[in-house]
Amino acid sequence: MSELLTRLTTIVGSDGVLASPDELLVYECDGYVVEKKQPDVVVFPTTTKQVVEIVRLCNELNVPFVPRGAGTSLAGGCLPVGGGVMISLTRMKRILEINLRDRYAVVEPGLVNAHLTQALKGTGYHYAPDPSSQGACTIGGNFATNSGGPHTLKYGVTVNHVLGVEVVMPDATVVQLGGPTEDVPGYDLTGLFVGSEGTLGICTKMIVRLTRDPAAYRTMLGVFETVDDATQAISAIIGAGIVPAALEMMDQGIVQALEEAFHFGFPLDAGAVLLIEVDGLEVAVDEEAQKIIALCTEAKAREVRQANTPKERQLLWKCRKQAFGAIGRLSPSYCTQDGVVPRTKLPGILRFIIDVAQRYQLKIVNVFHAGDGNIHPILLFDERDADQVQRVLEASDEILNRCIDLGGSVTGEHGIGVEKISFMNRLFSPADLAVMQSIRDCFNPDGRCSPGKMLPTAAGCGNEHIPRATPGKRAMA
Amino acid sequence: MSVAEFVPATQTELARWMAENAAAARQKLLPVGGRTSLHFGFSAESDCQIDSRELTRVVDYPARDLTITVEAGMRIEELQRLLVAERQQLPVDIAQPVRATIGGAIACNASGPRRHGSGTLRDYLIGCSAIDAQGSLFKSGGRVVKNVAGYDLCKLLIGSRGTLAVITQVTLKVKPLPEAAGWWWLTFDTFAEMENVLERLLTSAARPMALEMLDVPAAKLVATESRLPLPTDCPVLAILVEGTSREVAWQLDVLRKETVPFGVQQIEQLLDQDARTLTAALTEFQVPTDEPLTFQANLRPSRCWEFAELANRLDVAVQCHAGNGVIIGQFPEAAASRDQALTLLQPLQQFASAHTGNLQILHCDPEWQDDLPMCGQPEPAWGIMQQLKRQLDPQGLLSPGRFIDRVPISA
Repeated sequence: MSELLTRLTTIVGSDGVLASPDELLVYECDGYVVEKKQPDVVVFPTTTKQVVEIVRLCNELNVPFVPRGAGTSLAGGCLPVGGGVMISLTRMKRILEINLRDRYAVVEPGLVNAHLTQALKGTGYHYAPDPSSQGACTIGGNFATNSGGPHTLKYGVTVNHVLGVEVVMPDATVVQLGGPTEDVPGYDLTGLFVGSEGTLGICTKMIVRLTRDPAAYRTMLGVFETVDDATQAISAIIGAGIVPAALEMMDQGIVQALEEAFHFGFPLDAGAVLLIEVDGLEVAVDEEAQKIIALCTEAKAREVRQANTPKERQLLWKCRKQAFGAIGRLSPSYCTQDGVVPRTKLPGILRFIIDVAQRYQLKIVNVFHAGDGNIHPILLFDERDADQVQRVLEASDEILNRCIDLGGSVTGEHGIGVEKISFMNRLFSPADLAVMQSIRDCFNPDGRCSPGKMLPTAAGCGNEHIPRATPGKRAMA
Repeated sequence: MSVAEFVPATQTELARWMAENAAAARQKLLPVGGRTSLHFGFSAESDCQIDSRELTRVVDYPARDLTITVEAGMRIEELQRLLVAERQQLPVDIAQPVRATIGGAIACNASGPRRHGSGTLRDYLIGCSAIDAQGSLFKSGGRVVKNVAGYDLCKLLIGSRGTLAVITQVTLKVKPLPEAAGWWWLTFDTFAEMENVLERLLTSAARPMALEMLDVPAAKLVATESRLPLPTDCPVLAILVEGTSREVAWQLDVLRKETVPFGVQQIEQLLDQDARTLTAALTEFQVPTDEPLTFQANLRPSRCWEFAELANRLDVAVQCHAGNGVIIGQFPEAAASRDQALTLLQPLQQFASAHTGNLQILHCDPEWQDDLPMCGQPEPAWGIMQQLKRQLDPQGLLSPGRFIDRVPISA
C-alpha cells in the first residue's frame, strides 16, 4: 500500500493524491448512494502520460482501478468495487480545439458538459447531449454512460455526437479510435466504447461533433387533469409523426414541489403537465406548435400555455432540470428508476406505477423524458424506516420488470453500473452475455479496469458484489 | 467458381448449421444479402455463401412507436415501401435498393447524400440479432429508442463486412417522411469559390440535408445517370432541403440569396419527382459500372475542395459529401492497368494522409488487391481490432481475408 502511494505520488505529485480516510469519504459513492466503498487512494492525473503510468503501476501491483468524472452517475458506475485506485479525471478539463469549419471540438474528459456549450455561445453551434446534470457532469462521464438528456429526443444521445476518442487501454497502451474524420477504416470501436461504463479502458481525450443551433423554438406547457390524459397526448404526438425537440412529463407530485421551489405559476391541481419544445425554422415552428396544441386539446388538455419570452422558456427548463433538487421538499430520501418502454406503452406503465404505489403504500412521483418512453419514477421514503426501504426496493424491481415485459429496458441513460446488474440476466440471454464478456476479456482480460460493473459475470480481482442495502437519494438524469 | 450456398429459412436454423460447421467441416463462410457489394474492399476467400434471401419477414412494425423490426434479408426497397405506407422513412440513402438488403447495408455501412442532415445507419440501428462464427445466436440493444443496457454490439457490426457475425434481424428507429424536398444545382468556376460558399453556409438560415460537391467528371456521370438536363461544364455544388412545402420553398429562397452573389455561374432548381431522381442518381454514384477503381476518402470537410480540385485535374470523378468530408471517387476507364491505377492513386492518397484523413479502396480488379493500400495508411487501432476479430472468430471462419485480418499493422 505504501509502495503504491509513494509511486503514485512520484507520478502526479503530492497534490494529486488523496489517501486519508476523511478525504476519501467523498469518493465512496456517486449519485447512487445505496452502495458505498472507499477507494484505497484517489489520484488526479493531468495528462494522458500520467494516466498511462498510473494504469501501468496498477497492473504491476495487481490493484484494481476505476475512472471517475464528477461522480454524478446514478447507477454506481464509479463505485470502486474492490477498493484500489480511483483515477479522477477532473483536472483534465481543457478544451483543446474548437473547429467550427469542420464542426468538431477536441476536449479532455474532465470538462464539464455545460462548459463546452458555454464556450460555443455566439458561434451558432452547440454540443447537443444535455443531461440535466450538465452543470456538473463531465463529458468523459457522458462518454462512459452514453448519457442522454431532454433534447436527445430529436438530437440523439452521446454516441451520436462522438467522432473519436483517445483511450488508455487496461494494459496501459494508448489508442486513438475514430478521429476528426468520419468513417475511419476499421470497426467502429468508438461506438462500442461509448456506454461501456469504463470497463474497456479510460477515455483521455474526445473529439465531439458540434450541432447547429436551432433557428427558432416554441416551448409549451400542456396542462392535464390526469396522468392518463397526458400520456395519451404523448402517444398522439409521436404517432402523428411529430418529433419535438423535447417532450417531458411532470406529474402533480413533482409539480407541487417545483412550484414551492421556483414559483413558476404551475397549476397545483393538475394531474400532470407536459413540457413540450419544438425547434426548427421560424417559418415552421408555429405550424408544428399548433398541431401539438390541437393534439393536446383532443387528448383533453385543460389548457396549453406558451412560453412567451426567452426568459420564461429558460425558467421552464430550469424547473425541469432542477426537478430532482426540489424533491427534498417532499421526502428525506428518494430513489429514481430509469426504465424505458415503447412510447405507445407509456399510458400502461404509468397506470402500473400508480398501482404499484398503492399496493406498496409508497408515494411515487414522476418527471421524465416522455417522448423517448424513458420513465423516471421517483420513489419517496425515509431511509430510517427499514420496512419502507424494503418496499421501495421491491416496488422498484416490479416497475423495471414490467418495463422488460412491455418490450423495454431497465436503463435508458443512467447505465447498469452496479445497481442494475441483477437485471442483465433478464434482459439478455446467456449467449448475449457471453459475447459481451468475450469483448471485455479481449480488452480487459484481468478485469482490473472497473471491476464489478455492468456484466453479471464481471467479478474480477476477487472483489465481492456489495449487497443492495438501502436506497438513498439519487441525483437526476 | 461454383461456391456452395446455404439458404437458411430461419435464424435458428442458421445458428444450428453454423454451430455444426464450427465443430466439424469448418468451411469458410461468406454472408451475402443482395450481392451488390461482394466486390466491396478485399475479396473474401470462402467455401460457402450464407444467403439471406429467405430471411425477409417483418417481425414487428409498431408504426406509432417509430420503430420497425425486420429480418436482415429484407430488400431496401421493400423496407422503404412498408415505411412509406405509414408516412415514415429510414433516412439513409442506400444504392441499388431493389437488390440491396438491410443486413448487407449495415455490414457495409452504406450511406449517401443525406448523411449530412440525417446521419448514418449507426444513428438508426437500435437493436440486432446476429450469429457468431461458433453458431451462437446473440442480440444487442432492444426495440426501444433509448437503451444503454450492455455493450452496444450494433455499432461493432455496422461496417464489419461480415467478419464478426452474420446479422439476422434488426430493429431500426425510423423518422416521419418529409412532405417535400428540393435541390439547388449550382455551378462555379472554381473550387475555391465553392469553399467560400460552404463556409458561409455554416451559419445559413436554412438547414441543408445534403451538400454535394462534384467535380466536372462526377457532374457528368450524375447528370447522365439522372437523365436530367443539368449543366456540367463546371464544378457543381448541389444542396438539398427537406420539410413541409412551406419550409422547402422558404429554404430554397434563402439559399439562393446566400449563394448566388458569391460566384455561382448557373443555377437549376429541382423539385418533387426531379428532386427524388437527383437524390437517387447521387446515391448510385458510388456503384461502379465500367470504372476500374472506386474509392472513399475521408477528410475534414474543409479539405474537400482542394481534394476535388486535384481529382478534377486527374480526370478522376469525385463526389464529396461536403458536410461530412466523405468523398467517393471513380477512376476513369483509361486507368486500365494496375500501374496506371497506382499512379493516379498516389497523389490522392498522399493528400488524404497529409491532412489527417485516409483513403480506402471500395472496388478494383481483384488481382490488384495485394498491391494496393486497400484500407489506406495503417490506423493505430487496427492492432486491437485484429485482436477482437481473433477473440470473436478464433477459427477464422467468417469472411476471412475480407477486412481487418488482412490489413498491415504498423510497428
